[in-house]
Amino acid sequence: MKVTSIVWLSCLVAVLGIAFLGAPAYAQTIKIGHEVALTGPNATWGQSEANAVKMAVDKVNAQGGVLGRKLEIVAYDNRADRLEAVNVAKRLVEQDKVVAIIGPAQSGVTNAIREVNNSAKVPVIATTATNPKVTVNDNGSVVPYTFRVCFIDPFQGTVAAQFAFKDLKAKTAAILYDVGDEYSQFLGKYFVEAFEKAGGKITTNEAFRSGELDFRAQLGKIKYGNPDVLFVPTMQKEAALAAKQARDLGIKATLLGGDGWGSPDLFDLAGPAIEGSYFVNIAALEDPAIQDFIKDYRAKHKEDPVLPNPVLAYDAVLWLADAIKRAGTTDGEKLKAAMEQTRDLQVLTGKLTVDPKTHNPLNKPAVIQQTKGGKFVYVKTFVTTD
Amino acid sequence: MVLQTIITGLSIGSIYALMAVGYSLVFSVLNFSNFAHGAIITLGAYIAWAIMVHFFKLPFLPALLLSIAGAGILAFLNERIAYRTLRRRRAPSLYLMISAMGVAIALQNLLYATIGAKLYALPPVFTQDSFEVGGATISRMDLFAFAFSVVAIGLLHFVLTHTKVGTAIRAASHDMEMVSVLGVNLDVLVAVLFLIAGGLGGMAGVFMGVRYMVYPSMGWITNKAYIGAVIGGLGSLPGAIVGGILLGLLEALVSVTTIGSVQLSTYRDVFSFGILAILLIVRPTGLFGRFVEEKL
Repeated sequence: MKVTSIVWLSCLVAVLGIAFLGAPAYAQTIKIGHEVALTGPNATWGQSEANAVKMAVDKVNAQGGVLGRKLEIVAYDNRADRLEAVNVAKRLVEQDKVVAIIGPAQSGVTNAIREVNNSAKVPVIATTATNPKVTVNDNGSVVPYTFRVCFIDPFQGTVAAQFAFKDLKAKTAAILYDVGDEYSQFLGKYFVEAFEKAGGKITTNEAFRSGELDFRAQLGKIKYGNPDVLFVPTMQKEAALAAKQARDLGIKATLLGGDGWGSPDLFDLAGPAIEGSYFVNIAALEDPAIQDFIKDYRAKHKEDPVLPNPVLAYDAVLWLADAIKRAGTTDGEKLKAAMEQTRDLQVLTGKLTVDPKTHNPLNKPAVIQQTKGGKFVYVKTFVTTD
Repeated sequence: MVLQTIITGLSIGSIYALMAVGYSLVFSVLNFSNFAHGAIITLGAYIAWAIMVHFFKLPFLPALLLSIAGAGILAFLNERIAYRTLRRRRAPSLYLMISAMGVAIALQNLLYATIGAKLYALPPVFTQDSFEVGGATISRMDLFAFAFSVVAIGLLHFVLTHTKVGTAIRAASHDMEMVSVLGVNLDVLVAVLFLIAGGLGGMAGVFMGVRYMVYPSMGWITNKAYIGAVIGGLGSLPGAIVGGILLGLLEALVSVTTIGSVQLSTYRDVFSFGILAILLIVRPTGLFGRFVEEKL
């Protein structure tokens, strides 16, 4: 009995001693949490994202770190699962005492951890959460500690409209959107606004309901208006169906879409009907702006990064490092204020300016890709004008 | 544009009709709505995909025939496993319908679990699919599907009116008990019934796969076909055909109609299901229905 107590006591002393000795060393790094899906269906992107975050942190540290301290990443797997993400967020906030969190990648998952990070005043930078409601409450107020580094969905509608008007010289456009899908509805709405503002004319604005397969009735009406471009802001399934049926009906308009198109099976599903169409995407491997990063990534990991997550996560680290520098502290409130005041910060994908009212990046460059010979081909990086 | 809309409506309607016949056929004898029909249609399309794309790369016609046979056998097995015991125990038709729903959900999830949610396209049958007539575009595939369906339904009509089994099926649709008493083997009769209904379903599935694509939840579209069958009068074959085509035409016309600034295309399903609701109030037996009893 007595011997055991002594053993326990000495263990306790030892642990306390290590804790005390260890404490100053820990204080020297700035801990940043990373909510990332390292397993599960989103693991392909998640693992690539984790690699990129590490590269970004190494780069910042190589340049002397921030406030004379090194950054340290604490990454936990959330499997892109809402419940798991909440556990991870709690662990990061309560045990690891991180100053900020990079990720999650998904809109729903980011919403799930909103309570945790906002009550703890720990800023979160979502990487690819494109739903507008992630950073803005239903009543229009901004979620104080939730930011994002990607553009929001509706913005793609603006990009597509301005690209069609300026680059494709389209004067008339028609829209076929999914009335049962918020993503599609918003893209369509912003497209109409931006296209009309630029001076174009919307010939037909038609909708279908999620799950429908036959759009020939609507397309017949669209054909009648003879538009220069046809905007189909849907996933690849509806895009493929619409493309096939539009070409069958003899519609010659150039087809346009959003990032929902960016799935490789688009070509299997649509066949030659989709050839020569354009769509908006978040990032592309061929984007000249990110070539240095891609070279580094390939050198380190012997494969291509799985876009778009790595690029956005990399930007998020740069953004955070810059904000901590300007804030001069890692205090949550001050850090958040500094993040909101980010202006023209050079990041991988261009210049980052944050809108304090929405916590979204402003005029974020988007990538335009073309469907050509069964492949997505980079066309240009497009920056919108107001 | 009106002509184009009507052609589109006929094309959609004929697929509804083909599916609706499957519902009506089973309903006419067993007096329940076989909601597993959608899953059989889906499996028919997957059989065609397996034959044409995944394994053998066979051309369209053999694939179509094999899918018809395959779906027929699956429908037969479906009846054997899920309905026969209930039927023999004289369970109320409500139980059969619930069993059918279970089968539909189970089969769809089986597809998700095994083949996955990935979308597949069947190769086009005609390289140059559409041609123009009087300013309207007509699809060769649609014409082919239409003609093939007419032949199949004609054949079904012949079987029903000129063969022993057909006569027994027609008799059973009036009074199954009596037919059984007269010495007809009901199990064989029902097996034939499901083989035929499943075969027609498989055919519809293949046409859908070529026209649209193949994926686990494609059987959802049979909801519309079912409405078509109800509009025509469940249990009536001419009713199923007329109801399906009417619904297709109506949907196409609604899709291009604008009232004021409101485009009705977004209200398409409101119309389809609204008409169903109204019809059931005004004429619960549908246009050609014979039964005035509970429909499940």
